[in-house]
Amino acid sequence: MIPPNPPPEARSDILRQWAGTPVTALVSLVSAAVAISVTWALVDWAVISAVSPTRPIEECAGASGACWRFYLEKSRFMLFGTYPYAEHWRPALVSLLLLALSALVGLRITGRLRWLRPRMLLALWAGVIPMAFVLMGGGWTGLLAVDMSRWNGMPVLLILSVIAIALAFPLGVALAVLRHQTRRPVLRRAALVYIEGMRGIPMVTVLFVGVFVLPLTLPPDTRISPVMATLIALVFFHASYFAEDVRGGLQSLPVSQQEAAFSLGLSRGKTMRLVLLPQALSRSLPALVNSVIGAYKDTSLVVVLGIHDLTSTARMAFSEPGWGQFALEAYAFVGAWFLLSCAFLSWVGRELHRNQGARRR
Amino acid sequence: MQHAPPPARRSAPDRVGLAVVGAILLSLTILGGNIWLNMQAAGVTPGYGFLSQTAGFDLSESLIPYDAGDSYGRVILAGLLNTVFLAICGLVLATGLGVVMGLVSVTPSPAGRMIALLYVELFRNLPKILVLLVLYVVAVRGLPPVREALSIGPLHLTNRSIYMPAIEADARQLWLLLPLAAAVAVAVLWHRHARRIKRDTGRDIVVLPVILAAIIGLPLIFAVLADTPLVPSLPEFRRFDFDGGARLSVQFIVVLVTLGLYHGAQIAEVVRGGILSVPQGQVEAARALGLTPRHVTRFVVLPQVLRIVIPPMINQYVNLIKNTSIAIAVGYSDLMSISGTIINQTFRPLEMMLVTMGLYLGLCLVASSLMNRLNDRLRARGAGGAA
Repeated sequence: MIPPNPPPEARSDILRQWAGTPVTALVSLVSAAVAISVTWALVDWAVISAVSPTRPIEECAGASGACWRFYLEKSRFMLFGTYPYAEHWRPALVSLLLLALSALVGLRITGRLRWLRPRMLLALWAGVIPMAFVLMGGGWTGLLAVDMSRWNGMPVLLILSVIAIALAFPLGVALAVLRHQTRRPVLRRAALVYIEGMRGIPMVTVLFVGVFVLPLTLPPDTRISPVMATLIALVFFHASYFAEDVRGGLQSLPVSQQEAAFSLGLSRGKTMRLVLLPQALSRSLPALVNSVIGAYKDTSLVVVLGIHDLTSTARMAFSEPGWGQFALEAYAFVGAWFLLSCAFLSWVGRELHRNQGARRR
Repeated sequence: MQHAPPPARRSAPDRVGLAVVGAILLSLTILGGNIWLNMQAAGVTPGYGFLSQTAGFDLSESLIPYDAGDSYGRVILAGLLNTVFLAICGLVLATGLGVVMGLVSVTPSPAGRMIALLYVELFRNLPKILVLLVLYVVAVRGLPPVREALSIGPLHLTNRSIYMPAIEADARQLWLLLPLAAAVAVAVLWHRHARRIKRDTGRDIVVLPVILAAIIGLPLIFAVLADTPLVPSLPEFRRFDFDGGARLSVQFIVVLVTLGLYHGAQIAEVVRGGILSVPQGQVEAARALGLTPRHVTRFVVLPQVLRIVIPPMINQYVNLIKNTSIAIAVGYSDLMSISGTIINQTFRPLEMMLVTMGLYLGLCLVASSLMNRLNDRLRARGAGGAA
């Protein structure tokens, strides 16, 4: 009997990974080329062709890379815009407060900081939100009054994202409950129409309604600033997205939960508040975090309404005559901020997924 | 002892619900009254009469003939068509990019996976408006002015528009729709015929070449016979600007690329999730049964991937349609920026926003119901095939 041929030696793993088939080889080749050229372009822009911040800004005129001096001269403007210069500590403090509070919430829902009770967080929100407006607006306790039209940059971005999301959340939960329950069909229908209608139109149209139609609905001779109008519009818009996420959580609960709660003698309201909602919320957290990331990023759409959030102040920073060449530097600043802050939010989302996976197993 | 079933309870009318909805409607009426008062004070009477007035502003581009003397109604229609056109191009670009990057993200190649991951993470963590503004600045600054156009063959890139060859428009070309409709009918019938033969006899007959031949051939034969004018037109530089051919504005290209990149990243994630959800054991089992790799993909992997991927894909498409409205940031004449212009001109925010939101809502509903119907049919067929 002829012994069978021994199988050929297995190719080394690295080779198989990079070029196991012709298609894989092509993908590797193209990707490597793209990776190298992108890395090279970045390094060239940020280091090799860049002008160091110690050189005067005039030297940037001929350079093809980043002008780091630009950040020295303009970061404060990009952060706070035309807010009175001597009062910059106020928008800075507001931004820090809102960021810190958001970070606390993010850490808490991933299971850290257990000592922080939800009730304490609620109290913090209730304190920080009015405080943000008082600090920014001033006008009493000796603070210089600053008109809302001069609220610019980072604090506006955070007010319109963090505060809008915080206010939209309870509204979204209420809408989800209304759409989920069956006892009041008229309210159920109304919630459905509202949620589906809002989700079927672009955010820009809602912002336009806020800025152009909302002021008209007020009694004659009353005014509302564009920032406030936008905030209100955003609350109503985001609520519809949160409502769908929470409803997803409510729907995923087994009916037996409700039946068990009823048979224990809990009323409908208590069943919802004590049994169904807590479970539904924790199940819908990953989806909610996704919606929050979307809402946060989309906040910068307010640029089209002439509201000066971070993206808009960056644009202002290079719109002055003579500064036009620094457009990329200015946008890179905004991009870096969003990459950083969204990285935190994405991390929260991943942690939630991991925790839930662990709990199910 | 047997209990009789409880008598069916007639559900009481939802009094609380009616009261709440009534209260909401009442407050909306009060707000509406305020709008009326405010508009009266500004010397405007609410109503839609203005739609037939002369718009008086020009559009950078339009798919239908339009000039500044046309009515507001017509300019809204032009904007709606621009939005639809942008959305369709965006769907194609985002799907292509998303599918390719999704596939690359599951290749064995580490370099490919890294690039796909970077791409997805970058565009999922940057606001689309920022991407749009950056691309716009780069395009307007990076591309040459019209006199020094960057020419690649018959393509001419400038910092205002991109010019390309086209076929000169002629009303008689509309007749070509007739043979095209006939070709589609032939294709559908032939497809059914092939399915019947496959079911009855198990034989495969050529399908795709026949369909392609019908769709290309019938209009072509018709064009030759009926002498339809199909004159190619190349863009040529005359004194100040290019003449002839087709032109796409830089604004359009920039919005299109933004939508493609942004939604491409989301679609890549969807595709990736769909592919990873098919257990490797199924592929191995199918191979063990003697299916060729092509048949494994066609009959085992693809049906399952599609089943998972299509619903989130529909969601993405609807989002893309809504996101075309970011075009207002660079001034492409889509529905949203036209309605913004009209609001500034006429001081009729309420009427215009109702029209605009209604149109967007309609577009999204039409698109999602079309795609859901398609999905249902695909599913029904998949179930039938399995039985």
